Amino acid sequence: MAEIMLSRRTFAGCCAALALAAGARPLAAQEGLTLAFIPQENPEKLLGDVEVITDYLTDEIGVPVKGYVTLDHAAAVEALRSGAADISFSGALPYVLAHDQVGAEVLLSEVYRGRPSYVARIFVRKDSGIDDVAALEGRTVAFADPISESGYLYPLEIIADAGLIERGGDPQGFFGRVYFAGGYQQAIQAVANGLVDAAGVSEFADLLLSPEQQSEVKWIAESEPIPAHAVIARKGLDPDLKQRFVAAMLKLNEPQNRWLLQHVYAPDGYVETKHDAYEPVAVVARRYGLLG
Amino acid sequence: MRRMGRLLVVLALVSLAPAGSAHIVTEAPWHPIAYAYRSAVFLINLRPTDWTLVDRMFTTPAGPDAPGGAARQYLLALDAATGTGHWPAIEQAIAAQDRDALYVAATRAVSQAIRYHLAEAAAHLGDPGTATRTLEEARALYRSFADFIQEADPSGFRDVGLAWLDLASSVGHAGVVTTGTRPADEVAFAAARGVIGSYLIANYEPDAWTPRTTYAPVPAQRLAANPQVEVKAWLPPGSDLNDQDPLPRLVLNFEEQGIDERDLFLVAFGDMLFDSPEVFGEPARSLGLACSTCHNRSDINQRFFIPGISPQPGAVDVDGSFFNPRFNDHRDDALDIPSLRGLRFTAPYGRDGRFASLRDFTRNVVVNEFNGQEPSPLVLDALVTYMLEFDFLPAPYLDFDGRLNDLAPPAARRGEALFQQPFPQMNNRSCASCHVPDSHFTDNRVHNIGSGEGGDGSTSGAFDTPTLLNANYTAPYFHDGSLETLSDVVAWFDERFALGLSADQRTDLTAYLEVVGTGETPYQEFDDDNTPFRLMADELSVFLSTLDTLIPARDQVAADLVLRTVAADLAADASMMTNRAAVAKAYEMADRLWQLRDAIAGGKWDEVQSLWQGYQTLEQEYQAELR
Repeated sequence: MAEIMLSRRTFAGCCAALALAAGARPLAAQEGLTLAFIPQENPEKLLGDVEVITDYLTDEIGVPVKGYVTLDHAAAVEALRSGAADISFSGALPYVLAHDQVGAEVLLSEVYRGRPSYVARIFVRKDSGIDDVAALEGRTVAFADPISESGYLYPLEIIADAGLIERGGDPQGFFGRVYFAGGYQQAIQAVANGLVDAAGVSEFADLLLSPEQQSEVKWIAESEPIPAHAVIARKGLDPDLKQRFVAAMLKLNEPQNRWLLQHVYAPDGYVETKHDAYEPVAVVARRYGLLG
Repeated sequence: MRRMGRLLVVLALVSLAPAGSAHIVTEAPWHPIAYAYRSAVFLINLRPTDWTLVDRMFTTPAGPDAPGGAARQYLLALDAATGTGHWPAIEQAIAAQDRDALYVAATRAVSQAIRYHLAEAAAHLGDPGTATRTLEEARALYRSFADFIQEADPSGFRDVGLAWLDLASSVGHAGVVTTGTRPADEVAFAAARGVIGSYLIANYEPDAWTPRTTYAPVPAQRLAANPQVEVKAWLPPGSDLNDQDPLPRLVLNFEEQGIDERDLFLVAFGDMLFDSPEVFGEPARSLGLACSTCHNRSDINQRFFIPGISPQPGAVDVDGSFFNPRFNDHRDDALDIPSLRGLRFTAPYGRDGRFASLRDFTRNVVVNEFNGQEPSPLVLDALVTYMLEFDFLPAPYLDFDGRLNDLAPPAARRGEALFQQPFPQMNNRSCASCHVPDSHFTDNRVHNIGSGEGGDGSTSGAFDTPTLLNANYTAPYFHDGSLETLSDVVAWFDERFALGLSADQRTDLTAYLEVVGTGETPYQEFDDDNTPFRLMADELSVFLSTLDTLIPARDQVAADLVLRTVAADLAADASMMTNRAAVAKAYEMADRLWQLRDAIAGGKWDEVQSLWQGYQTLEQEYQAELR
């Protein structure tokens, strides 16, 4: 479903200034809890959502909960490092980087379609005549972003699994040209519009196309499961507060609270998780030089 | 139900639909300048042009969910940064009501705004975070033109599109804390920026502008080469043709009697036509509009909205210049979309009751309002036959004669007495004189109660008595949707006719209206198996059942209409399947239908029969997965 995409997209353009305004005023984390929300397609709507969810959490946890929208994943990690935020919503790769760099701890995993995971896929146009990844040799490809699990690293793993590039190696030699389009939507649009031959993106990226365009693309290969986006805490957050936060978030799975999920990136729910579940992402990140 | 397959929001669509809701396609937010630009260009094509609305597009933020401020602020900032005078030029053009001047000034402003942001990104390549955000803003502004370039100049679109990819790839990356930092490639960035800049200057900032009668941001060089270049129908930002959510529940008389629609050829064919944009002409057809776009499941669509054509959601001016210039009445007389529930009991038709016959009314909608070709007798008969099956939702508090039953609460009972009470101020009539309880709460007549005199721009005159059944779900009220609630309606009558009702009486009367307006299960209920896609797929299957009649009759025209409608809808609606693993199967089925259509068009009737049987086998096989 597309819901997952909302949290995954780097929104282009006009919203940046707004997010900057929000991000430039990190809220004090000394009292209560401060949540960092990563931007989605509509930060202003997200600002409204933030309030809905922080109000809920304030009531449930019994301490003041505040939230703000960060500029991007990097800013969210930085906020955990500096203590400007106690908790952040995060992709799997930013989490493992944050774990490594600033000691962040994963608390919860989002659930979509009954799974706390998703996959990356290689999409092509149906009329391209391309049926497998081997046929991509010398062709052009668009990825979302060089620091993206489903929008770069896992698609590369697909190519490596097929023995077409060296694991952890540079894909430039295999493809005719590699683009970083700036987001899932830009990458999948580039395929739909015939600008590039393939895109390596999240399985949900085609839902960002118009219905007509969706019928014009297909996927030819998919990755191993990628752990879903997570909710992570800064190093040293009070264990009792952490536990109460987790309990409150898990209550979102209950029928009477499910409507609130629409205000936190619209997953089907949350499950508790541990770092081990994200270790495979760390392994891949190491392979491509993002982790020491 | 309405299909969204052809909704013309080309660049950025995000499905926000939670599982179980109706199919909703939502626009990604626009940059405020792009929003104002596309809106203004759309609006200046309308006659008469609402210049106040044009002005508002630039001077107020783009809506409650829109990011950022008004376009004016951004344009003033651009002027300040670059020493240009874009905003004064736009403001002046609006004040002078000069379409050409506005088009030129606004187009030039957008183009220069894109180039300015690209220059800023280039100047900040040492700071990848800032450069990336500035580049993204430039790209968001480029959305103002992109789909028109794609349509009118595919090769230019490709060159510019690749240049945007080059920019995004060469802008560098700030990394995450200490990892993944990538420096910018200044040479590649400059080259790509040059490609886009040259294209924009040549096409959106030309020295001389080709005269035009319609406005759309078609690249100037294309227009100069071919002044007749046509672009597909398009809608401004903020337009919403999605189904209402929650989706109304459809009640069909034959279904209540346990009759299968597949056994009712004319009804099934009419059902298909009611959902088919093919009945209408341009631009409605290309935009994917059908009867059901406004009348979701025989009821209304409270979210239907086209800026400049809808004064508020759920309303539309069907006789303006947009849908059919020949039918333009040059009046600002948008109507609240009426429910068609119980249609066979609610003649005359049209908000002012101008058509006694449903058939005449329907023909007028097709031919005059929506620019369609003269419908065949079969088409009209089928549409009318289908619509005559629309029933009201069952009313749990009413007896057969429209009187309250024992379940009705006391306040409603007191309200019923008031409803029946004659008032001298209303020529000794009661509410019930016109809203006749044992006649579906209407008298099937037209009255002038003064409701046309109140609102700004509304048409004075008489309007037909609306039924009150199921009214709880059809807000707002009155022909122009000027009253928000049933309580407002009671207050309006009290004041208009100086009835002197006490507060309690108003409350009782409102309670009565709400009880009369109640219907059982007003909205379609969905679950994991009974999904919106399944509802749609079942409906399409019924539409296709008409081929069992049309193929043996070798009715090429009607069969072609069915197949065009269903194949296009099936492919488009596959995007809303929750069972993503089976999406390819829906596409496969749609492809089979196109093959069948080709065979029918070619008159290969032997092949047609086997293709049709093959399709039915396939449908049977995939049935369980189509959700």
